[in-house]
Amino acid sequence: MTRLFAALGLAAAAAAQSVNVAADAGLTHIFPNGGDESKTWILETTGSGAAWIDYDNDDDLDAFIVSGEGGGNRLYRNDEGRFADVTAAAGLESEGWGQGVCAGDYDNDGYTDFLVTYWGRNRLYRNLAGERFVDVAASAGLLQDRVRYNTGCAFLDYDNDGDLDLFVANYLKFDFETTPRPGDNPYCYYRSIPTACGPRGLPFDCNLLYRNDGEGRFTDVSNESGIAAPARNYSLGVITGDWNGDGRVDIYVACDRTPSLLYINRGDGKFEDEALFRGAALDADGRALSGMGVAAGDYNGDAAVDIFRTNFSDERATLYRNRGAGDFDEATLSAGIGRNTRYVGWGVGFFDVDNDGWKDLLLVNGHVFPEVAGLAADIRYRQRSILYRNRGGRFEDAGEEAGPGVAEPHAARGLALGDYDNDGQVEALINSQNEPPALIRFDGEPKNSWIALKLEGVQSNRSAIGAHIRVTAGGRSQVDSVRSGGSYLSQSDLRLHFGLGQAKSADVEIRWPSGIRRRLTNLAAGMTHRITEAAP
Amino acid sequence: MPAISQVVLPALLVLAAASAQSQSVRPQSIRQGIELFEKGRYTEAEAELEGSSDKRARAFVAMSRAATGRCGQAAGGLRAAFDNFNKKSDPQIRRLAGLALARCRIAEKSFVDALTLLSSLASEFPDDGDVLYETARFHLKAWNGAVERMFDRAPASFRVNQLSAEIFEIRGQFSEAVAEYRRAVEKNPHAINLHYRLGRALLMESHAPEALEAARREFEAEIRLNPSDAVAEYQIARILEVEGEHEAAQERLENAVRLDPDFSEALTALGRALSAQKSWARAVDLLERAAALAPQSESAHYNLMLVYRNAGREAAALEVKKRLDKLQESPDGEFTDFLRRIGELP
Repeated sequence: MTRLFAALGLAAAAAAQSVNVAADAGLTHIFPNGGDESKTWILETTGSGAAWIDYDNDDDLDAFIVSGEGGGNRLYRNDEGRFADVTAAAGLESEGWGQGVCAGDYDNDGYTDFLVTYWGRNRLYRNLAGERFVDVAASAGLLQDRVRYNTGCAFLDYDNDGDLDLFVANYLKFDFETTPRPGDNPYCYYRSIPTACGPRGLPFDCNLLYRNDGEGRFTDVSNESGIAAPARNYSLGVITGDWNGDGRVDIYVACDRTPSLLYINRGDGKFEDEALFRGAALDADGRALSGMGVAAGDYNGDAAVDIFRTNFSDERATLYRNRGAGDFDEATLSAGIGRNTRYVGWGVGFFDVDNDGWKDLLLVNGHVFPEVAGLAADIRYRQRSILYRNRGGRFEDAGEEAGPGVAEPHAARGLALGDYDNDGQVEALINSQNEPPALIRFDGEPKNSWIALKLEGVQSNRSAIGAHIRVTAGGRSQVDSVRSGGSYLSQSDLRLHFGLGQAKSADVEIRWPSGIRRRLTNLAAGMTHRITEAAP
Repeated sequence: MPAISQVVLPALLVLAAASAQSQSVRPQSIRQGIELFEKGRYTEAEAELEGSSDKRARAFVAMSRAATGRCGQAAGGLRAAFDNFNKKSDPQIRRLAGLALARCRIAEKSFVDALTLLSSLASEFPDDGDVLYETARFHLKAWNGAVERMFDRAPASFRVNQLSAEIFEIRGQFSEAVAEYRRAVEKNPHAINLHYRLGRALLMESHAPEALEAARREFEAEIRLNPSDAVAEYQIARILEVEGEHEAAQERLENAVRLDPDFSEALTALGRALSAQKSWARAVDLLERAAALAPQSESAHYNLMLVYRNAGREAAALEVKKRLDKLQESPDGEFTDFLRRIGELP
């Protein structure tokens, strides 16, 4: 059942010098997103996401970039490391204020579909045999009764029935007619500069959950599931995971200027927000920060999946250490992530940049307001990314040593991680406002080995979203899950990548969403293994 | 003088009519005079009302004179109106006369009289925008006067630099504030609180990690001058936490709570540090004390809830969560009207 389809040898980076290869790879279009020197509306500040999706099942990752008003989303097919714009041929031409993207094979036909969220009408793109897409939002029952400010999203199988349901975060209620303008009230200033108003002072909205009824249609179950109950949160980034280990998927939502949410899945179709009591809503000082993006990963090797959230400038990004049963302690300072406070963080992801078996962190940044250029302060609109190297459960900012790719300043938002050239080294796809995307490679001397897993559900959903994996190699174990959504409004590779250090093989244990468990031993390093769930 | 609000005017006119009937004077003239006053036509109002023996008419004559800058002529009438009108039956005339008199006193730099008047008005009309405005204006004038005298009479004093730095801080100009604090320190390196303020401004000026060390040096200097400064100890502890020096941070927090056993923030931070070490009993003790000392502190309650939870005292944790939930409820703010307008609030 295990099939080897790539044997590319050992590859990794010792120094991991980053370099932006987007232009060489053909990613040259500029993606508009509001004003570049000033912004009138908050809507101009929040877009947009990026995605790595293998839409044509050719075993390499294609790139999808979401655009704000004035442009269109674009799909780029990966042709051996160069990207060809296939937007029109794929039926994906679009317009409007695109926000987020998340992927999953919701109809279990073997081809990855995806949702694009909007301020306005969301698009559910059904993948037609890897050749083109059709927007089926209307026929799937995903049209909304009013204009909503949809942001992060994730496919998940919350009822473990084998098909993917859909969570969509909503930021706030916004329209051009009633929203105040810069300087209109005290919440329309930043450091005495009139700026776009909000989120404080603007009306809250509620999040949405759609149940997949199995026939290509979704039913809005936001109210009866309890998802719509929290009504005082400005929701942005979304990530899913089984944080309390009960076999049911939970949902974490990074919220701006309000407590973040941790919806615990009760198993009877209902969710309850327990973020405050579980210690994942606020920072250690009890303050609600400006949550933007969110990542999940086991940073300290204790087999419990932790949560990392990016926040605003003058705040620290927040690392929540999972105590093992879904209760969290803030571990930002003890993990060494307290010194960077000048950046507004957005996309974020755990990945093993040097394949040493410890998940590192990449954060992409950019201020909300271009107007900060006029401030006599050390805050800039375009900001560098941050690569935190994980040294056995404690992080160090790689700083200049991370190389020019990480040091480049951008007004970054979305970040997707994935090994687009299948060389065993994960790359970063970054969507920045009013710029071409950045494609960051981490090149260095090959040293450590790796393994990647592509899972395919049978009884479980075909994308295997929610599958929990433990990889053991060289005496160490790592855990991760297949996730839709995450980072900031973005979709990373659905395959899982593990650095193995010097190990030449690994043992893999899989807990599928169906409950089926599988153990595979001695899988060879340096390749991607396709693993299919045992038939019921 | 600001015009009388539309809400107040009808009541004044009713009062004027009733008063005129009881004293057999020209009610029409008094009504017209008050209307003219309300429209800001003070000279015409004064002419209409002058000569009337009606005490309300005399009050408006005085207010008209004050409004046209003749405080000397107005003062007696304003004082009489303020003293004679009952705050229950004629609160608006008393309020208007009191405000006019206070403005005159401020203009004359009779700050003590002005303060007495404004204090009376503030206790009678605590939510009145005009009274609050005049009070703020009074303090601004007094502040400006004091600053002017300071710059004039003691220009070489380090206090001039300190004050300049504090003003820059308020404006968010932290680099300028740092420069002025440094000048002040240079002039008087032994002044209490200067190093502390400089350290704080350094933290506000820069997000660079190097600023932490620079600020820490200033807090240390403050402690050398004033070994009983618990707040400086606390600031050093927070910097050490960021630097990952957790043991040293804990020592400084211990110092802070020893110096000031009622220092809620330090108690909270120390409780949190002990909780991380699973020293539940002392952590609980400190955090309970912090929450009791600062019943509105979300930080103290949040950490108390977490230490109960981590110590396995779930019921106690849930009790604290209830209090925390209440603390987190947003108060009605200035956007209530906006939210009502767009239908988000009843």
